[in-house]
Amino acid sequence: MERPMSHHKEFLGEKEKIDNLYSKGYRITAVNETLSGAFVEFSRITEEKELETEELQLLNPDTRIYFSTLIHKQQKAQ
Amino acid sequence: MADLRINFAGIKSPNPFWLASAPPTNSGYQVQRAFEAGWGGAVWKTLGEPILNISSRFAGTHFNGQRMAGFNNTELITDRPLEVNLKEIYETKKRFPNHTIIASLMVEPQQEKWHEIVKRVEAVGVDGFELNFGCPHGMAERGMGAASGQVPELVEKQTMWAKEVAETPVIVKLTPNITDITATAYAAVQGGADAISMINTINSLAGVDLDTWNTIPHVAGKGAHGGYCGPAVKPIALNMVAECARNSTINVPISGIGGVSDWRDAVEFMLMGAGGVQVCTAAMHHGFSIVEDMVDGLNNYLDDKGLDSVEDLVGKSVPKYSDWGDLDLNYKTVARINTDTCINCNKCHIACEDTAHQCIDMLTAKDGSNYLKVHEEDCVGCNLCSIVCPVDGAIDMIEIPSDEPMTWKERETAIKQPSCGISLVK
Repeated sequence: MERPMSHHKEFLGEKEKIDNLYSKGYRITAVNETLSGAFVEFSRITEEKELETEELQLLNPDTRIYFSTLIHKQQKAQ
Repeated sequence: MADLRINFAGIKSPNPFWLASAPPTNSGYQVQRAFEAGWGGAVWKTLGEPILNISSRFAGTHFNGQRMAGFNNTELITDRPLEVNLKEIYETKKRFPNHTIIASLMVEPQQEKWHEIVKRVEAVGVDGFELNFGCPHGMAERGMGAASGQVPELVEKQTMWAKEVAETPVIVKLTPNITDITATAYAAVQGGADAISMINTINSLAGVDLDTWNTIPHVAGKGAHGGYCGPAVKPIALNMVAECARNSTINVPISGIGGVSDWRDAVEFMLMGAGGVQVCTAAMHHGFSIVEDMVDGLNNYLDDKGLDSVEDLVGKSVPKYSDWGDLDLNYKTVARINTDTCINCNKCHIACEDTAHQCIDMLTAKDGSNYLKVHEEDCVGCNLCSIVCPVDGAIDMIEIPSDEPMTWKERETAIKQPSCGISLVK
Protein backbone atom coordinates (compact mmCIF):
# COMPACT_ATOMS: atom_id res chain seq x y z
CA MET A 1 0.00 0.00 0.00
CA GLU A 2 1.25 3.45 -0.88
CA ARG A 3 2.22 5.80 1.92
CA PRO A 4 -1.06 7.67 2.56
CA MET A 5 0.59 10.76 4.00
CA SER A 6 3.41 10.86 1.47
CA HIS A 7 3.43 14.14 -0.33
CA HIS A 8 7.02 14.12 -1.45
CA LYS A 9 6.32 13.16 -5.05
CA GLU A 10 3.61 15.79 -5.22
CA PHE A 11 6.05 18.35 -3.84
CA LEU A 12 8.70 17.42 -6.38
CA GLY A 13 6.14 17.77 -9.19
CA GLU A 14 4.94 21.17 -8.04
CA LYS A 15 8.49 22.36 -7.38
CA GLU A 16 9.47 21.35 -10.89
CA LYS A 17 6.65 23.45 -12.35
CA ILE A 18 7.78 26.47 -10.34
CA ASP A 19 11.43 25.97 -11.25
CA ASN A 20 10.48 25.68 -14.94
CA LEU A 21 8.67 29.00 -14.84
CA TYR A 22 11.58 30.60 -13.01
CA SER A 23 14.04 29.30 -15.57
CA LYS A 24 11.96 31.01 -18.25
CA GLY A 25 12.21 34.32 -16.43
CA TYR A 26 8.87 34.25 -14.64
CA ARG A 27 8.65 35.65 -11.16
CA ILE A 28 5.86 35.43 -8.60
CA THR A 29 3.65 38.49 -8.71
CA ALA A 30 0.58 37.49 -6.71
CA VAL A 31 -0.49 34.86 -4.22
CA ASN A 32 -4.05 33.99 -3.33
CA GLU A 33 -4.37 31.29 -0.68
CA THR A 34 -7.77 29.61 -0.43
CA LEU A 35 -9.29 26.39 0.88
CA SER A 36 -8.51 24.90 -2.52
CA GLY A 37 -4.80 25.61 -2.22
CA ALA A 38 -2.52 28.47 -3.14
CA PHE A 39 -3.11 30.14 -6.49
CA VAL A 40 0.21 31.63 -7.43
CA GLU A 41 0.56 34.03 -10.31
CA PHE A 42 3.83 34.16 -12.23
CA SER A 43 4.67 36.98 -14.63
CA ARG A 44 7.47 37.93 -16.98
CA ILE A 45 8.20 40.66 -19.49
CA THR A 46 8.90 39.23 -22.94
CA GLU A 47 11.54 40.52 -25.35
CA GLU A 48 8.67 42.27 -27.09
CA LYS A 49 8.04 44.13 -23.83
CA GLU A 50 4.76 42.30 -23.28
CA LEU A 51 3.53 40.99 -19.97
CA GLU A 52 2.94 37.25 -19.82
CA THR A 53 1.20 35.60 -16.90
CA GLU A 54 0.84 32.00 -15.74
CA GLU A 55 -1.01 30.66 -12.73
CA LEU A 56 -0.34 27.52 -10.71
CA GLN A 57 -2.64 25.92 -8.19
CA LEU A 58 -0.32 24.53 -5.52
CA LEU A 59 -1.57 22.05 -2.95
CA ASN A 60 1.50 20.73 -1.20
CA PRO A 61 2.54 22.19 2.16
CA ASP A 62 6.22 21.94 1.31
CA THR A 63 5.59 23.77 -1.96
CA ARG A 64 3.88 26.56 -0.05
CA ILE A 65 7.06 26.97 1.97
CA TYR A 66 9.17 26.66 -1.17
CA PHE A 67 7.46 29.35 -3.24
CA SER A 68 7.27 31.73 -0.31
CA THR A 69 10.99 31.26 0.30
CA LEU A 70 11.52 32.27 -3.33
CA ILE A 71 9.47 35.43 -2.80
CA HIS A 72 11.30 36.14 0.45
CA LYS A 73 14.63 35.80 -1.38
CA GLN A 74 13.36 38.00 -4.23
CA GLN A 75 12.43 40.73 -1.81
CA LYS A 76 15.68 40.49 0.12
CA ALA A 77 17.64 40.72 -3.13
CA GLN A 78 15.87 43.92 -4.20
CA MET B 1 32.63 26.20 44.44
CA ALA B 2 30.26 28.70 42.90
CA ASP B 3 28.46 31.37 44.86
CA LEU B 4 24.90 30.17 45.43
CA ARG B 5 23.74 33.31 47.20
CA ILE B 6 20.99 35.31 45.57
CA ASN B 7 19.66 38.80 45.94
CA PHE B 8 16.06 38.42 44.88
CA ALA B 9 14.34 41.80 44.57
CA GLY B 10 16.46 43.03 47.46
CA ILE B 11 15.89 39.89 49.54
CA LYS B 12 19.18 38.18 50.32
CA SER B 13 19.26 34.41 50.60
CA PRO B 14 22.11 31.92 51.10
CA ASN B 15 20.84 29.84 48.17
CA PRO B 16 18.00 29.96 45.64
CA PHE B 17 16.04 27.08 47.19
CA TRP B 18 13.05 28.24 49.19
CA LEU B 19 10.21 26.16 50.56
CA ALA B 20 6.94 27.37 49.10
CA SER B 21 4.05 28.51 51.23
CA ALA B 22 2.33 25.22 52.01
CA PRO B 23 2.11 22.52 54.70
CA PRO B 24 5.95 22.24 55.01
CA THR B 25 6.14 25.87 56.23
CA ASN B 26 3.24 25.69 58.64
CA SER B 27 5.22 26.18 61.86
CA GLY B 28 8.46 27.34 63.40
CA TYR B 29 9.40 23.75 64.15
CA GLN B 30 9.21 22.83 60.47
CA VAL B 31 10.89 25.94 59.08
CA GLN B 32 13.76 25.69 61.56
CA ARG B 33 14.29 22.04 60.64
CA ALA B 34 14.23 23.02 56.98
CA PHE B 35 16.89 25.67 57.52
CA GLU B 36 19.02 23.17 59.40
CA ALA B 37 18.67 20.84 56.40
CA GLY B 38 19.98 23.54 54.06
CA TRP B 39 17.02 25.39 52.58
CA GLY B 40 17.90 29.01 51.84
CA GLY B 41 14.47 30.38 52.60
CA ALA B 42 10.89 29.63 53.42
CA VAL B 43 7.66 31.30 52.49
CA TRP B 44 5.63 30.90 55.67
CA LYS B 45 2.29 29.24 55.13
CA THR B 46 -0.27 31.88 54.27
CA LEU B 47 -1.33 34.04 57.20
CA GLY B 48 -4.84 35.34 57.52
CA GLU B 49 -7.84 34.98 59.70
CA PRO B 50 -7.89 31.48 61.21
CA ILE B 51 -9.92 29.18 59.04
CA LEU B 52 -11.38 25.70 59.24
CA ASN B 53 -10.07 22.79 57.20
CA ILE B 54 -11.76 19.64 56.00
CA SER B 55 -10.68 16.01 56.14
CA SER B 56 -9.48 14.45 53.90
CA ARG B 57 -7.61 16.98 51.78
CA PHE B 58 -4.74 15.47 49.74
CA ALA B 59 -4.63 13.13 46.76
CA GLY B 60 -1.74 11.84 44.72
CA THR B 61 -1.87 10.98 41.06
CA HIS B 62 0.45 8.07 40.46
CA PHE B 63 1.54 7.34 36.93
CA ASN B 64 3.03 4.14 35.65
CA GLY B 65 4.74 3.27 38.90
CA GLN B 66 5.78 6.77 39.87
CA ARG B 67 4.18 7.88 43.12
CA MET B 68 2.99 11.49 43.24
CA ALA B 69 3.67 12.36 39.65
CA GLY B 70 1.02 14.92 40.48
CA PHE B 71 -0.45 16.07 43.76
CA ASN B 72 -3.79 17.57 44.60
CA ASN B 73 -4.92 19.37 47.74
CA THR B 74 -7.92 21.11 49.21
CA GLU B 75 -6.10 22.43 52.26
CA LEU B 76 -6.56 26.10 53.03
CA ILE B 77 -4.29 28.75 54.52
CA THR B 78 -2.98 28.44 58.07
CA ASP B 79 -5.52 27.35 60.63
CA ARG B 80 -3.35 28.68 63.46
CA PRO B 81 -3.93 32.07 65.10
CA LEU B 82 -1.87 34.94 63.74
CA GLU B 83 -0.25 35.62 67.11
CA VAL B 84 1.10 32.08 67.28
CA ASN B 85 2.58 32.30 63.82
CA LEU B 86 4.11 35.72 64.49
CA LYS B 87 5.77 34.49 67.65
CA GLU B 88 7.27 31.52 65.78
CA ILE B 89 8.40 33.66 62.84
CA TYR B 90 10.16 35.99 65.28
CA GLU B 91 11.88 33.09 67.04
CA THR B 92 12.88 31.44 63.78
CA LYS B 93 14.31 34.64 62.32
CA LYS B 94 16.23 35.27 65.53
CA ARG B 95 17.76 31.81 65.33
CA PHE B 96 18.43 31.95 61.58
CA PRO B 97 19.11 35.62 60.82
CA ASN B 98 20.80 34.89 57.48
CA HIS B 99 18.03 32.71 56.14
CA THR B 100 15.09 34.14 54.28
CA ILE B 101 11.60 34.23 55.73
CA ILE B 102 8.84 35.53 53.53
CA ALA B 103 5.35 35.84 54.91
CA SER B 104 2.56 34.75 52.62
CA LEU B 105 -0.53 36.87 53.22
CA MET B 106 -4.17 36.66 52.30
CA VAL B 107 -7.01 38.85 53.49
CA GLU B 108 -10.22 40.21 52.09
CA PRO B 109 -9.84 42.87 49.41
CA GLN B 110 -10.10 45.79 51.81
CA GLN B 111 -7.41 48.41 52.21
CA GLU B 112 -7.46 48.56 56.01
CA LYS B 113 -7.21 44.76 56.30
CA TRP B 114 -4.11 44.70 54.09
CA HIS B 115 -2.59 47.58 56.06
CA GLU B 116 -3.22 45.88 59.38
CA ILE B 117 -1.75 42.49 58.48
CA VAL B 118 1.29 43.92 56.67
CA LYS B 119 2.18 46.12 59.66
CA ARG B 120 1.70 43.38 62.24
CA VAL B 121 3.71 40.79 60.30
CA GLU B 122 6.51 43.16 59.31
CA ALA B 123 7.02 44.02 62.98
CA VAL B 124 8.35 40.50 63.70
CA GLY B 125 11.16 40.83 61.17
CA VAL B 126 10.19 39.08 57.95
CA ASP B 127 12.36 39.67 54.89
CA GLY B 128 9.42 40.27 52.60
CA PHE B 129 5.86 39.39 51.72
CA GLU B 130 4.19 37.15 49.20
CA LEU B 131 0.59 38.06 48.44
CA ASN B 132 -1.41 34.91 47.81
CA PHE B 133 -3.65 35.57 44.82
CA GLY B 134 -3.66 31.97 43.76
CA CYS B 135 -5.31 29.61 46.24
CA PRO B 136 -7.98 28.03 44.01
CA HIS B 137 -10.33 26.55 46.58
CA GLY B 138 -11.87 27.44 49.90
CA MET B 139 -10.53 30.94 50.15
CA ALA B 140 -11.77 31.76 46.67
CA GLU B 141 -15.32 31.15 47.94
CA ARG B 142 -14.67 34.00 50.36
CA GLY B 143 -13.46 36.38 47.64
CA MET B 144 -9.76 35.82 48.27
CA GLY B 145 -6.97 33.83 46.57
CA ALA B 146 -7.73 32.97 42.96
CA ALA B 147 -11.00 34.93 43.14
CA SER B 148 -8.86 38.05 43.43
CA GLY B 149 -6.00 36.70 41.35
CA GLN B 150 -8.18 36.23 38.28
CA VAL B 151 -9.13 39.91 38.19
CA PRO B 152 -6.22 42.14 37.16
CA GLU B 153 -7.81 45.22 38.77
CA LEU B 154 -8.01 43.46 42.15
CA VAL B 155 -4.41 42.25 41.85
CA GLU B 156 -3.23 45.77 41.12
CA LYS B 157 -5.31 47.40 43.85
CA GLN B 158 -4.39 44.95 46.61
CA THR B 159 -0.72 45.01 45.66
CA MET B 160 -0.88 48.78 45.95
CA TRP B 161 -2.50 48.53 49.40
CA ALA B 162 0.23 46.19 50.61
CA LYS B 163 2.92 48.42 49.15
CA GLU B 164 1.46 51.48 50.85
CA VAL B 165 2.65 50.22 54.22
CA ALA B 166 5.27 47.54 53.52
CA GLU B 167 8.88 48.48 54.10
CA THR B 168 10.20 45.14 52.85
CA PRO B 169 9.78 43.78 49.28
CA VAL B 170 6.39 42.56 48.12
CA ILE B 171 6.14 39.49 45.89
CA VAL B 172 2.82 38.75 44.19
CA LYS B 173 1.99 35.06 43.73
CA LEU B 174 -0.13 34.47 40.65
CA THR B 175 -2.75 31.91 39.78
CA PRO B 176 -2.36 29.77 36.65
CA ASN B 177 -6.15 29.47 36.42
CA ILE B 178 -6.34 32.27 33.92
CA THR B 179 -5.97 32.46 30.15
CA ASP B 180 -3.04 34.86 30.03
CA ILE B 181 -0.89 35.09 33.14
CA THR B 182 0.97 38.10 31.76
CA ALA B 183 -2.21 40.14 32.27
CA THR B 184 -2.20 39.61 36.03
CA ALA B 185 1.59 39.79 36.18
CA TYR B 186 1.41 43.20 34.53
CA ALA B 187 -1.30 44.25 36.98
CA ALA B 188 0.97 43.27 39.87
CA VAL B 189 3.78 45.35 38.40
CA GLN B 190 1.42 48.28 37.95
CA GLY B 191 0.47 47.90 41.60
CA GLY B 192 4.10 48.29 42.57
CA ALA B 193 5.10 44.66 43.12
CA ASP B 194 8.82 44.17 43.69
CA ALA B 195 8.61 40.65 42.26
CA ILE B 196 6.15 38.02 41.15
CA SER B 197 6.02 34.29 41.84
CA MET B 198 4.33 31.57 39.86
CA ILE B 199 2.57 29.29 39.68
CA ASN B 200 0.07 28.59 42.36
CA THR B 201 -1.88 25.34 42.00
CA ILE B 202 -4.09 24.43 39.04
CA ASN B 203 -7.78 23.57 39.40
CA SER B 204 -8.00 19.82 39.38
CA LEU B 205 -9.86 16.65 40.27
CA ALA B 206 -7.38 13.91 41.11
CA GLY B 207 -9.65 11.00 40.26
CA VAL B 208 -12.82 9.04 40.77
CA ASP B 209 -13.07 5.77 42.74
CA LEU B 210 -14.38 3.09 40.38
CA ASP B 211 -16.02 1.09 43.19
CA THR B 212 -17.65 3.78 45.31
CA TRP B 213 -17.99 6.42 42.58
CA ASN B 214 -16.68 8.95 45.08
CA THR B 215 -14.27 11.62 44.00
CA ILE B 216 -10.65 11.34 45.12
CA PRO B 217 -10.30 12.79 47.68
CA HIS B 218 -13.80 12.98 49.10
CA VAL B 219 -15.28 14.43 52.24
CA ALA B 220 -18.18 12.31 53.45
CA GLY B 221 -18.96 11.30 49.89
CA LYS B 222 -18.65 14.74 48.34
CA GLY B 223 -15.75 16.27 46.47
CA ALA B 224 -14.64 19.64 45.20
CA HIS B 225 -11.89 20.80 42.93
CA GLY B 226 -8.45 21.09 44.46
CA GLY B 227 -5.14 22.60 43.47
CA TYR B 228 -2.76 20.53 41.33
CA CYS B 229 1.00 20.64 41.72
CA GLY B 230 4.05 18.37 41.57
CA PRO B 231 6.16 17.17 38.63
CA ALA B 232 3.13 16.99 36.31
CA VAL B 233 2.64 20.76 36.33
CA LYS B 234 6.25 21.74 35.60
CA PRO B 235 5.79 22.34 31.85
CA ILE B 236 2.80 24.60 32.55
CA ALA B 237 4.69 26.56 35.18
CA LEU B 238 7.82 26.84 33.06
CA ASN B 239 5.86 28.29 30.17
CA MET B 240 4.19 30.86 32.42
CA VAL B 241 7.54 31.90 33.88
CA ALA B 242 8.95 32.17 30.36
CA GLU B 243 6.00 34.21 29.09
CA CYS B 244 6.47 36.72 31.89
CA ALA B 245 10.28 36.73 31.65
CA ARG B 246 10.24 37.62 27.95
CA ASN B 247 7.63 40.34 28.39
CA SER B 248 9.44 43.65 28.72
CA THR B 249 6.54 45.26 30.57
CA ILE B 250 6.90 42.74 33.40
CA ASN B 251 10.29 43.98 34.51
CA VAL B 252 10.49 42.47 37.99
CA PRO B 253 12.22 39.32 39.28
CA ILE B 254 10.31 36.04 39.13
CA SER B 255 10.28 33.30 41.74
CA GLY B 256 9.69 30.00 39.92
CA ILE B 257 7.27 27.48 41.42
CA GLY B 258 5.65 24.37 40.01
CA GLY B 259 7.07 20.87 39.99
CA VAL B 260 10.62 21.74 40.98
CA SER B 261 11.88 18.39 42.24
CA ASP B 262 15.66 18.50 41.81
CA TRP B 263 18.52 20.80 40.84
CA ARG B 264 17.91 20.23 37.14
CA ASP B 265 14.37 21.54 37.41
CA ALA B 266 15.68 24.52 39.34
CA VAL B 267 18.27 25.26 36.65
CA GLU B 268 15.59 25.09 33.96
CA PHE B 269 13.44 27.62 35.81
CA MET B 270 16.40 29.91 36.35
CA LEU B 271 17.54 29.66 32.73
CA MET B 272 14.00 30.63 31.78
CA GLY B 273 14.14 33.74 33.93
CA ALA B 274 13.43 32.77 37.54
CA GLY B 275 15.70 34.47 40.06
CA GLY B 276 15.08 31.65 42.53
CA VAL B 277 12.75 28.70 43.01
CA GLN B 278 10.23 27.49 45.53
CA VAL B 279 9.61 23.84 46.28
CA CYS B 280 6.74 22.08 48.00
CA THR B 281 5.59 18.74 46.59
CA ALA B 282 9.07 17.23 46.33
CA ALA B 283 9.71 18.10 49.98
CA MET B 284 6.34 16.61 50.97
CA HIS B 285 7.24 13.46 49.04
CA HIS B 286 10.82 12.97 50.19
CA GLY B 287 11.44 15.27 53.16
CA PHE B 288 13.60 18.33 53.72
CA SER B 289 16.88 16.53 53.02
CA ILE B 290 16.34 16.71 49.24
CA VAL B 291 17.83 20.18 49.39
CA GLU B 292 21.28 18.66 49.94
CA ASP B 293 21.24 17.16 46.44
CA MET B 294 19.81 20.37 45.06
CA VAL B 295 22.66 22.43 46.50
CA ASP B 296 25.36 19.96 45.47
CA GLY B 297 23.88 19.46 42.01
CA LEU B 298 23.61 23.18 41.35
CA ASN B 299 27.14 23.75 42.60
CA ASN B 300 28.57 21.05 40.35
CA TYR B 301 26.57 22.29 37.38
CA LEU B 302 27.84 25.85 37.81
CA ASP B 303 31.41 24.59 38.15
CA ASP B 304 31.03 22.47 35.01
CA LYS B 305 29.70 25.48 33.11
CA GLY B 306 32.48 27.70 34.43
CA LEU B 307 30.04 30.04 36.15
CA ASP B 308 30.98 31.78 39.39
CA SER B 309 27.51 32.65 40.53
CA VAL B 310 24.01 31.23 40.38
CA GLU B 311 22.83 34.64 39.25
CA ASP B 312 24.86 34.19 36.04
CA LEU B 313 22.31 31.57 35.01
CA VAL B 314 19.19 33.65 35.33
CA GLY B 315 17.42 34.30 32.05
CA LYS B 316 20.01 32.74 29.74
CA SER B 317 17.34 30.84 27.80
CA VAL B 318 14.79 33.66 27.65
CA PRO B 319 15.98 35.00 24.24
CA LYS B 320 15.49 31.50 22.85
CA TYR B 321 11.78 31.51 23.75
CA SER B 322 9.61 33.24 21.22
CA ASP B 323 6.36 32.97 19.27
CA TRP B 324 5.50 30.21 16.80
CA GLY B 325 5.47 32.86 14.09
CA ASP B 326 9.15 33.53 14.70
CA LEU B 327 10.24 29.94 14.07
CA ASP B 328 12.10 29.03 10.89
CA LEU B 329 9.80 27.21 8.44
CA ASN B 330 12.82 25.93 6.51
CA TYR B 331 14.59 24.26 9.43
CA LYS B 332 14.40 20.51 8.96
CA THR B 333 15.25 17.47 11.03
CA VAL B 334 14.70 13.82 10.26
CA ALA B 335 14.85 10.68 12.35
CA ARG B 336 17.69 8.21 11.90
CA ILE B 337 17.55 4.77 13.45
CA ASN B 338 20.82 3.31 14.65
CA THR B 339 20.47 -0.35 13.78
CA ASP B 340 23.35 -1.26 16.11
CA THR B 341 21.41 0.00 19.12
CA CYS B 342 17.84 -0.66 17.97
CA ILE B 343 16.22 -3.65 19.70
CA ASN B 344 13.54 -4.02 17.00
CA CYS B 345 10.69 -3.50 19.40
CA ASN B 346 8.91 -1.72 16.53
CA LYS B 347 7.34 0.90 18.80
CA CYS B 348 8.61 3.65 16.50
CA HIS B 349 7.17 1.92 13.44
CA ILE B 350 3.78 1.46 15.09
CA ALA B 351 3.66 5.05 16.35
CA CYS B 352 4.67 6.47 12.98
CA GLU B 353 2.42 4.16 11.01
CA ASP B 354 -0.71 4.68 13.14
CA THR B 355 -0.39 8.26 14.32
CA ALA B 356 2.22 10.17 12.34
CA HIS B 357 3.49 10.14 8.75
CA GLN B 358 4.11 6.47 7.85
CA CYS B 359 7.78 6.98 7.13
CA ILE B 360 9.42 4.09 9.00
CA ASP B 361 9.87 0.99 6.86
CA MET B 362 10.26 -2.55 8.18
CA LEU B 363 12.84 -4.15 5.93
CA THR B 364 14.53 -7.52 5.72
CA ALA B 365 18.28 -7.79 5.36
CA LYS B 366 20.04 -10.34 3.15
CA ASP B 367 20.65 -12.54 6.18
CA GLY B 368 16.92 -12.62 6.84
CA SER B 369 16.96 -10.33 9.87
CA ASN B 370 14.52 -7.48 10.14
CA TYR B 371 15.49 -3.87 10.55
CA LEU B 372 13.81 -0.48 10.56
CA LYS B 373 14.70 2.41 8.32
CA VAL B 374 13.33 5.91 8.07
CA HIS B 375 12.13 7.09 4.68
CA GLU B 376 13.67 10.50 5.20
CA GLU B 377 11.87 12.29 2.37
CA ASP B 378 8.57 11.70 4.12
CA CYS B 379 9.84 12.33 7.65
CA VAL B 380 8.57 15.65 8.95
CA GLY B 381 10.84 15.61 12.02
CA CYS B 382 7.95 15.37 14.47
CA ASN B 383 10.12 13.51 17.06
CA LEU B 384 7.40 10.96 17.90
CA CYS B 385 9.54 7.90 17.08
CA SER B 386 12.41 9.10 19.27
CA ILE B 387 9.97 9.89 22.09
CA VAL B 388 8.38 6.43 22.13
CA CYS B 389 11.70 4.64 21.63
CA PRO B 390 12.68 2.86 24.88
CA VAL B 391 16.40 2.75 24.08
CA ASP B 392 18.53 5.85 24.51
CA GLY B 393 20.53 6.56 21.40
CA ALA B 394 18.61 4.21 19.12
CA ILE B 395 16.98 7.08 17.25
CA ASP B 396 18.69 10.40 16.58
CA MET B 397 17.03 13.47 15.20
CA ILE B 398 19.40 14.82 12.59
CA GLU B 399 19.41 18.34 11.19
CA ILE B 400 19.60 18.25 7.43
CA PRO B 401 20.61 21.08 5.09
CA SER B 402 17.76 23.33 4.12
CA ASP B 403 16.96 26.61 2.47
CA GLU B 404 17.72 29.95 4.09
CA PRO B 405 15.65 30.77 7.17
CA MET B 406 12.15 32.20 6.77
CA THR B 407 9.61 32.58 9.54
CA TRP B 408 5.84 32.44 9.16
CA LYS B 409 5.70 36.16 9.96
CA GLU B 410 8.23 36.85 7.20
CA ARG B 411 6.23 34.64 4.84
CA GLU B 412 3.03 36.53 5.54
CA THR B 413 4.78 39.81 4.79
CA ALA B 414 6.42 38.38 1.67
CA ILE B 415 3.32 36.92 0.02
CA LYS B 416 1.16 39.97 0.66
CA GLN B 417 2.90 41.96 -2.04
CA PRO B 418 5.37 39.74 -3.84
CA SER B 419 7.05 42.66 -5.61
CA CYS B 420 9.72 41.41 -7.98
CA GLY B 421 10.34 44.35 -10.25
CA ILE B 422 7.86 43.17 -12.90
CA SER B 423 5.35 45.79 -13.94
CA LEU B 424 1.78 44.60 -13.77
CA VAL B 425 0.55 47.30 -16.15
CA LYS B 426 -0.80 45.36 -19.13
